[in-house]
Amino acid sequence: MPIQRRHESFFSLALPYRERLVLERALIAGGPGPRLAIVSGIHGDELEGLYVCHRLAARLDALLERWPEALRGTVELYPALNPLGLDTLERAVPIYDIDLNRAFPGQAGGLVPHRLADAVMRQLAGAALVIDIHASNIYLREIPQVRIARAFEAGLVSMARSMNLDLIWVHEASTVLEHTIAHSLNASGTPCLVVEMGVGMRLTPAFAEQVTTGILHVARALGVLHRDVELEPIEHRPLVADDNNVHYLNAQVSGIFVPCVEHWIAVRRDELLGRIVSPLMAQPLAEVRSPCDGVLFTLREYPLVYEGSLLARLMEVSP
Amino acid sequence: MSVRSRGESVLLHMTAPSREDFDIPAHDVGPRGAPPQLALVAGLHGNELNGVFVLSRLASFLRQVVDGGRPGAALLGRVVVIPAVNVLGLNVRRRAWPFDGTDVNRMFPGYPAGETTQRIAAAVLAATVDAHWRIDIHSSNVDFEELPQVRLFEPDDEERAAARWLGLPVVLERPVTPLLTTTLAYAWKTTGGRALVVQAGYAGSLQLPHCERLFTALVGFLERSGVLVGVRLAEADHDVHTFGPRQSFPLISEHAGWFVSRLEVGRWIQAGDLVGSVYDGFHGDLVAEVRSPVAGLLAGVRRQPLLCEGDLVARVLVQDEMSCLPETYLMGHGQ
Repeated sequence: MPIQRRHESFFSLALPYRERLVLERALIAGGPGPRLAIVSGIHGDELEGLYVCHRLAARLDALLERWPEALRGTVELYPALNPLGLDTLERAVPIYDIDLNRAFPGQAGGLVPHRLADAVMRQLAGAALVIDIHASNIYLREIPQVRIARAFEAGLVSMARSMNLDLIWVHEASTVLEHTIAHSLNASGTPCLVVEMGVGMRLTPAFAEQVTTGILHVARALGVLHRDVELEPIEHRPLVADDNNVHYLNAQVSGIFVPCVEHWIAVRRDELLGRIVSPLMAQPLAEVRSPCDGVLFTLREYPLVYEGSLLARLMEVSP
Repeated sequence: MSVRSRGESVLLHMTAPSREDFDIPAHDVGPRGAPPQLALVAGLHGNELNGVFVLSRLASFLRQVVDGGRPGAALLGRVVVIPAVNVLGLNVRRRAWPFDGTDVNRMFPGYPAGETTQRIAAAVLAATVDAHWRIDIHSSNVDFEELPQVRLFEPDDEERAAARWLGLPVVLERPVTPLLTTTLAYAWKTTGGRALVVQAGYAGSLQLPHCERLFTALVGFLERSGVLVGVRLAEADHDVHTFGPRQSFPLISEHAGWFVSRLEVGRWIQAGDLVGSVYDGFHGDLVAEVRSPVAGLLAGVRRQPLLCEGDLVARVLVQDEMSCLPETYLMGHGQ
C-alpha cells in the first residue's frame, strides 16, 4: 500500500465576524496497522509539542524515503488543539477563558471548549496510543518526562520506559484532573501518555529531538513501524518518581529568583540552588537550598516570584 | 487572622516582588469571643464587582449598627465580611490572580506552604471555616447576566431553609461536579458547615438593581438568622422559586454573528417566545430569531453581542424535570 499523506480539518465552528475556528490534523498512513496519535497545543502558550510534530513528520519522511514499507500503520498529528489560544498567546481558550484540558471529554452540543474536546475525543478513539505533549508554562522549565495517574499506571509505565525520557512521574488522583484529555482517553480505553517538556512560549530543540526519537521507538514497539526499522539508540533511561519522593520548593518571599545551578543536575541536601533578591536592596532576601539529595527536574525560568511561587521540584535520590 | 484596627482584620499579609507589601483585609464586626455566625466572601474573582461593592456597603451598614448609628438595631452575633479576596485582580480588573493567571476559586482547600493562590485560599478558608453560615458571592462572567440567585450543591434541609432567608427570586440546586471540588463552597461543605453561593448580574461593571436586591437579601438573612435585630428592610420570601439540576435549560445558539436581546432577566416566558435575534457579523442580515423551546423563568441572558456558534444565549428555569443534566457542561465560567 503506497504511503498516504493527508492534511485535513476535522472540526469547524463559526466565529462572530467572517472567520471560522478550524481544527486540523495531518495523517501519514502506510498500512492497516495500529494508529499512533500525537496531540499538542491544548494550551496556547505551549509550543514544544508543535515542533515535535514537525520533527516527527520530517524524521518519518526521511525514514520512509529509504524504506516506504516501514510504515505499517498510521501516524496522526494534531499539533494545535487550541488554535485561538496559539493565535493570541493565551493558555486557555480565548473568549471563554476555559482551560481546554479541563473540558474533556466534552459535549457535541455544549459550549465551544466542550465542542472542541468532543471533536478531538471522536478522532482519537481507537488509537493504539495517544501522546499528549505539554510544555509546562512560561514560569517553569521541565526535563522531558511523562506523567501518569496512578489509576492508569499498568501498561503505561512500561511503554513510557522506552520513550527516551528522563523521568516518569506516577501521581495520585486529583478529582479536577478527571476533565483532562489523558484521563478521558484512558478511562474510555484509548491509552494516553502525557509528556511534559521544556518551557512555555519557547522551543527547546534538543528536547524535541530526544522526544521524537522516543516516539519513533514507541511506534516501532506498537507495530506502527516495521519491527526491523533501524532507529537512533535510546540514550535516556527514566527515573521513576512518585508523590512520596518529589519535593516542591516554593518561594519564601517575593522578589527576583536567580538560580545558581543548572537544570537537571544532581544536588546535595542543603546545597545552594539560588537566591531571591530585591531590585531595591543589596542584601539577598533569601537563599534557596535543596531540601534533599536529589535531581532537579523542574527549575523556575521566569524570574519574578511571589511568596509561594514554585522555584523548583526535586526527586529525592539516595547519594 | 490578625486584628488590625476597629472592626478590621488581616487574613493574609504578603510581600510583593516590586511593590509594597499587601494585605487581604476583612471586616470583623459584632461581639467577639465566639466563632462568627456568618462569613461573607466576594471578589474571589477580581472582575466580579457586584458582590465586592455590596459587601463593602454592608460592612459600612453593620459598623453603623455596632456604633449605635441605627437606633433600635443591634448585632447579636459576630460577622466576618471579606469584600475582595483577589485584591490585586480587583485593582487591575482581572478575574484571575494577575501574576500567574490562576483562578483563586479553583485552589481550595488551599495549602499554607504551597503556591501563592493556594496560600490565599488556605487563608480565606481559615478565616471563615468556624462560621456557622457561609455565603460566597459571585457575578457571572462578563458576557452573561444572571438573575440574583442562590446556588446550593447537594444541600441538606438546613441549607435549603437558609437559602430562602435571602429572599432572592431563585434557588438553584446543583450536583457536585469534579470542578466544584476545588471551590470555596465545596471546601466549606467538607468542613461541616453550611455553604451558600450567590450569583448576581455580570462581571466587569455594577448593575445597581442587582446590587440593591443583594444588599436587601443579606440584611434579610442576618435578620432571619437572628444575628441582626431591630432592622426591617427585607420583604418576606413569597416569591422564591426552587429549581433542581434537571430544571435548568441552557439555550445555546447554533448561529454566529451579532446577538441582541431586549429581554430583562427575571421575567416568565412562554415556549416560542422571542429571546433575541442573531444578525450576520459582516452582511448584517437577520440570520436567526432565537426562541425559547420551553416555558419558564428567564434566569440568565447573554449581554455580550459577539456570538460564536455554540454560545450560551439564555438560561430558562422550567417547572418540569428534564431527562439530562446539560448544565454540568456549562460550569467553568462565573462562580
